[in-house]
Amino acid sequence: MRILWRVLLAAGLPVALIAAWWFGSAGSTDFYWPSLSTIIDAFGRTWTWEMFQEQVLPSLWRLLAGYLLAVLLGVALGALIGLSRTVRDLLEPVLEFLRAFPPPVLVPAAILLAGIGDRTKILVIVFGCVWPVLLNTIEGVRARDEVLSDTCRTYRITGLLRLRHLVLRAASPQIVTGARQALPLAIILMVISEMMAANEGLGFTVLQFQRGFQIPEMWSGVLLLGLIGIVLSLLFRLAERSLLGWYHGQRAGQREF
Amino acid sequence: MLEVKNLHKVYDGHGRRVTAVGDLTFSVPEGQFACVVGPSGCGKTTLLRVLAGLLPATSGEVRVQDAPVTAPPPGLAVVFQEYGRSLFPWLRVRDNVELPLKAQGMARAERRKLAGDALAAVGLSDADGAYPWQLSGGMQQRVAIARAVAFAPKVLLMDEPFAAVDAQTRADLEDLVRSVWQRLGVTLLFVTHDIDEAVYLGQRVIVLSAAPTTVAEDLAVDLPADRDQLTTRSDPRFTELRSQVYARIRKVQAPASEGASA
Repeated sequence: MRILWRVLLAAGLPVALIAAWWFGSAGSTDFYWPSLSTIIDAFGRTWTWEMFQEQVLPSLWRLLAGYLLAVLLGVALGALIGLSRTVRDLLEPVLEFLRAFPPPVLVPAAILLAGIGDRTKILVIVFGCVWPVLLNTIEGVRARDEVLSDTCRTYRITGLLRLRHLVLRAASPQIVTGARQALPLAIILMVISEMMAANEGLGFTVLQFQRGFQIPEMWSGVLLLGLIGIVLSLLFRLAERSLLGWYHGQRAGQREF
Repeated sequence: MLEVKNLHKVYDGHGRRVTAVGDLTFSVPEGQFACVVGPSGCGKTTLLRVLAGLLPATSGEVRVQDAPVTAPPPGLAVVFQEYGRSLFPWLRVRDNVELPLKAQGMARAERRKLAGDALAAVGLSDADGAYPWQLSGGMQQRVAIARAVAFAPKVLLMDEPFAAVDAQTRADLEDLVRSVWQRLGVTLLFVTHDIDEAVYLGQRVIVLSAAPTTVAEDLAVDLPADRDQLTTRSDPRFTELRSQVYARIRKVQAPASEGASA
């Protein structure tokens, strides 16, 4: 009964909004605001398996490559900075400066340096997504528990074992928070970079539809981007649940007492 | 064995100098169970952290197993008061006990066996697959003790390990520590603020004065080695000893409070 209630609560608003869109736009004659049924029609016609392979898969590949690279880089650099005062003092001013750039600004420069291929887009995604991961990792690594650190020292748990079992695990709740913030950024940067410089991909395709006045097709592309976002965040939640099971369990336990 | 010679520790920071340990000298021979008691804030935890090599002394010398302590010495284990924070919440009980052994490069099968034996010794064989936060406070401290037991240290330090558990659990854990000490034959330094606990557990009670800390009294506990919560605690000799320690602590506290008001 409670599960049913929660499902109803979670699904209630989306269903209501879609219904409002459906009925509100039904019979629309506005060229730029086609009805939802027209858009869904266009969706089925546009996003065939071939189209998916040609335009969506390259985008997804760039998205994942850029995102994963950003997480990896953010965690590695964050652990280094969080562990060492010297590295922190050395890098912090430079990082503050780099962080101030809006990532899309890099696209024109990156095109000049790396062309309009995958490399440019992945670079832009990495540059935009690395910050939340990096900053959260630094915080998490620095805030590790003193007693647990002492425990590692007395039992001589050092090196890689310490990195794996103390430093990274203790920071993992913050790392996951950073990675969660970075996910929508990755999607945004993927689309932007494809709109500015590409001859294939989702962002490129949506822009082509708009320029060709294929308005329902354009909206269907927007809808597809939204769906990709939802699927990715669901996948993220699954990964989080297996990675942070201990964290949520511990917090639930503390609330009980 | 443990040696503390003219240990002096000053915390210096933010323009405030706090002398935590004044001038401390004592030694604990191999295999002895020594308890350290003292009024709160007398630098018991500081002493323990210096002994464990977690904190440098300002001056004086600390030796563990005949080697001066500059970093955490090999063959020394610590059981901390904050059991909830000294266990790895992301590791199961078994893996918590095994991790120090893994750090020594011990083979998996051997680790597993030692961890299993240690958990059995503290009565937690059934809980090896649980996470620490799924256990009660007393059980978590048992896991920390099992981890120390599996590590097979030469010297074991315990920092008010039972301060945060209820009375019944505490009595059980006290008996557990006695039996672990007898089995392992370790040199054990047990820091507590509970006088009864100190007399009940130790072969010797070292009473510290209020800060700046010195040894106020060094008392041999001549109770029989076989101790029991009921009979030992009602033994007239036990009562006598605890009164002696209590009187001593009252006395060391008094001048400090006069000094504070002056």
